[in-house]
Amino acid sequence: MKRIFVAFLVMLLLCMPAAAANYYPEYTGEPTTITMWAWTSNENYSIEEFEKVYPNIKVEWEDFGVHYEKAQTALAAGTGLPDVLMVEYSFAPQYMDLGAFQPINEWLPEDVFVELYGEQALGWSSLDGVIYGTPQDSGAITFFYRQDLFEEYDLEVPVTWDDFATQARKFRQARPDLVFNGPPLGYALWWVGLVWQSGVKMFDYHDGNWYIDFTNPGAEKVFEFWGELIDEGTIDVEMWWNADWYNSLNQGTTATVLNGAWFAEWLRYNAPDSAGQWRVMAPPNFDPSKPHNGMLGGSGFYVTEHSKNPEAAAIFVNWLNSHPDSLLCLNKYSNLPVMVSNRYEEVLDEIVIEDDFFGGQVIVDTLWNAHNLIDTTFVGLPIWSNLDSALSLLLQDYVDGKIERFADILPLWEEEVVATMKEFGYFNTIVGEMP
Amino acid sequence: MTWIKKLKTSLKAYLFLAPFLAVFSAMVIYPIGSGVQLSMYGQRGARMWYIGWENYQRILSDSLFWNSFKVPLFLLLVQVPLMLILAVIISFMFETRKNGGALYRFIYYLPYTIPGIVSGLVWSYIFSDSMSPLRPILDAIGYGSLLTRENVPGILLVMILWQFTGYTAFIMYSSLIAIPREYAEAAQLDGAAHWQIALRIKLPLLKDPLITLFIFNAIGAMQIFNEPWMLRDLVVLPTNYTPTMYIYNSAFAQGRFTYAAAMGIILAVLTCLVSLYVLRTASKLILDRHS
Repeated sequence: MKRIFVAFLVMLLLCMPAAAANYYPEYTGEPTTITMWAWTSNENYSIEEFEKVYPNIKVEWEDFGVHYEKAQTALAAGTGLPDVLMVEYSFAPQYMDLGAFQPINEWLPEDVFVELYGEQALGWSSLDGVIYGTPQDSGAITFFYRQDLFEEYDLEVPVTWDDFATQARKFRQARPDLVFNGPPLGYALWWVGLVWQSGVKMFDYHDGNWYIDFTNPGAEKVFEFWGELIDEGTIDVEMWWNADWYNSLNQGTTATVLNGAWFAEWLRYNAPDSAGQWRVMAPPNFDPSKPHNGMLGGSGFYVTEHSKNPEAAAIFVNWLNSHPDSLLCLNKYSNLPVMVSNRYEEVLDEIVIEDDFFGGQVIVDTLWNAHNLIDTTFVGLPIWSNLDSALSLLLQDYVDGKIERFADILPLWEEEVVATMKEFGYFNTIVGEMP
Repeated sequence: MTWIKKLKTSLKAYLFLAPFLAVFSAMVIYPIGSGVQLSMYGQRGARMWYIGWENYQRILSDSLFWNSFKVPLFLLLVQVPLMLILAVIISFMFETRKNGGALYRFIYYLPYTIPGIVSGLVWSYIFSDSMSPLRPILDAIGYGSLLTRENVPGILLVMILWQFTGYTAFIMYSSLIAIPREYAEAAQLDGAAHWQIALRIKLPLLKDPLITLFIFNAIGAMQIFNEPWMLRDLVVLPTNYTPTMYIYNSAFAQGRFTYAAAMGIILAVLTCLVSLYVLRTASKLILDRHS
């Protein structure tokens, strides 16, 4: 009996490192240095931890801000990309399709990937079963609202989109000079994200074909909903990310914002005067008995085609985005909602704290809840920059009075996107249906 | 042997020219050459293949490219003449002052010393909704947002006039003081009024610098980039708002580098043609005058 027990213990001991080694294989190559471009803050803490575990791999992190233009240039030049490139999930398919990344299945097989990051994340990290990188933060859509304004004007936190519309109208009547919610003028990610949040999608990729269907009933419903509020003047579309917008968030002239979970950190740094006033909630739903969520932003770390040491790079991106030690650092120093990895749960207990900026709310809980409501996924179109600028122009046309009904933007947008797909040589595009 | 002497002299000349020629060929000739070469290729990501003149053919029928000339054309026809007229007036005003109004010249010259990107940023704040110092006045007369797409050409006009008028007046003034004093004195003795001297005697003599400045500003208008680029954060401008913006966006946002290279070549050729045309008509005028 004792011997069996000891044997069992030995087996257990043998199995445990084996399981861990499966996630993070041993590095077999020569001592090396790999480079990484990323615009998130304080990635160095994770890198330090990583270098302790893998002393033969050194990581040089460079931050150029959003580096897409630099990356496009290096890609066209055929040289100059770092080993590891941070790219937003929405832009990743464009880079995959251009051949910017190289496969890492050898060091991170699909079954391990799914175990670590879940099935959905495959849509942002792979194409045709070839894995190119790992996902870092969550862009789970979150409803940010000003507690002070909600109290002052007796508003309720909306559970359904109908509630949202009611509160928006009430607020407009009470304070026509303030903004209840200003959807972005452009920023396709937001509009695609809200369609995703309602449980449907506008495009996808399957078996070598791109599918485009902007005018499906689900997407139309979302655009009709916002269109009604915008057409009647209850809310207005606004330019985001400029000085006017920063001011409105900082000074309390905007009551609510719908944005990705990462925006909590963004608010903290860019709207310091509003400390203590903001709260977060999962976004409203059309049918609260069947809540969904989608993502708005979030980024992955991909191993580039120019990497001379894909093994080291692959080991690094996997460790960086899934190992609890790294997740803790990313959460603690970069304040990132690194919730995509399934191992996030292992560190959850350590990071559930009250957040003073959000008036003492434990926002990690709320964000985690919002993240777990994501139940669909899809692959973004490989022409994201064009998709984005086409929508911006249509929205500006609407603001300038050239388009009368807001919801009419949707079919016009589809037309533009389909034309661009053709122009760029994607003849494998199927319009009007989903796989 | 004169030809040996000649050879020696030219060798010497090239020796002195060598530093310039080396930098010029590395930084100007070579990039133009590789630009031309690039423009002959099709490209997707790192993949490139030879397609000859296909990019150029596509550009000829690319309405986005040709529509992008609306703003430069507006600037060429409105901003450039307006600025030259203003600059001439200001330079005459300098001249009436003692020392050519050194302080005023300094003040007028100042905007030119500020990088376009910086002044563009500040101007974009001046025209923004929440920070504009003009806001109280606009509210009083019930005017909405200043930064609408319709207003952008007007805003560009203001930004460029602010930045370059003083500089242009400065150059104009240096030509003005180079005009021999005797002309004005002779006219004065004949009973010409001050404004008559300025308009009838001095202005015609300013023709040469005016033509040069017109060409420089015409080139500037064709290649306008910084000012509209800085306004993008506050108002949505099409990716093809100006030719250079379209070229930049095609290359860096959409990754179509070879197509952008071909557009760059076409823009350079067009700019060259406009300059040549102005120069030719101008020299004809000058020749006519001299004969």
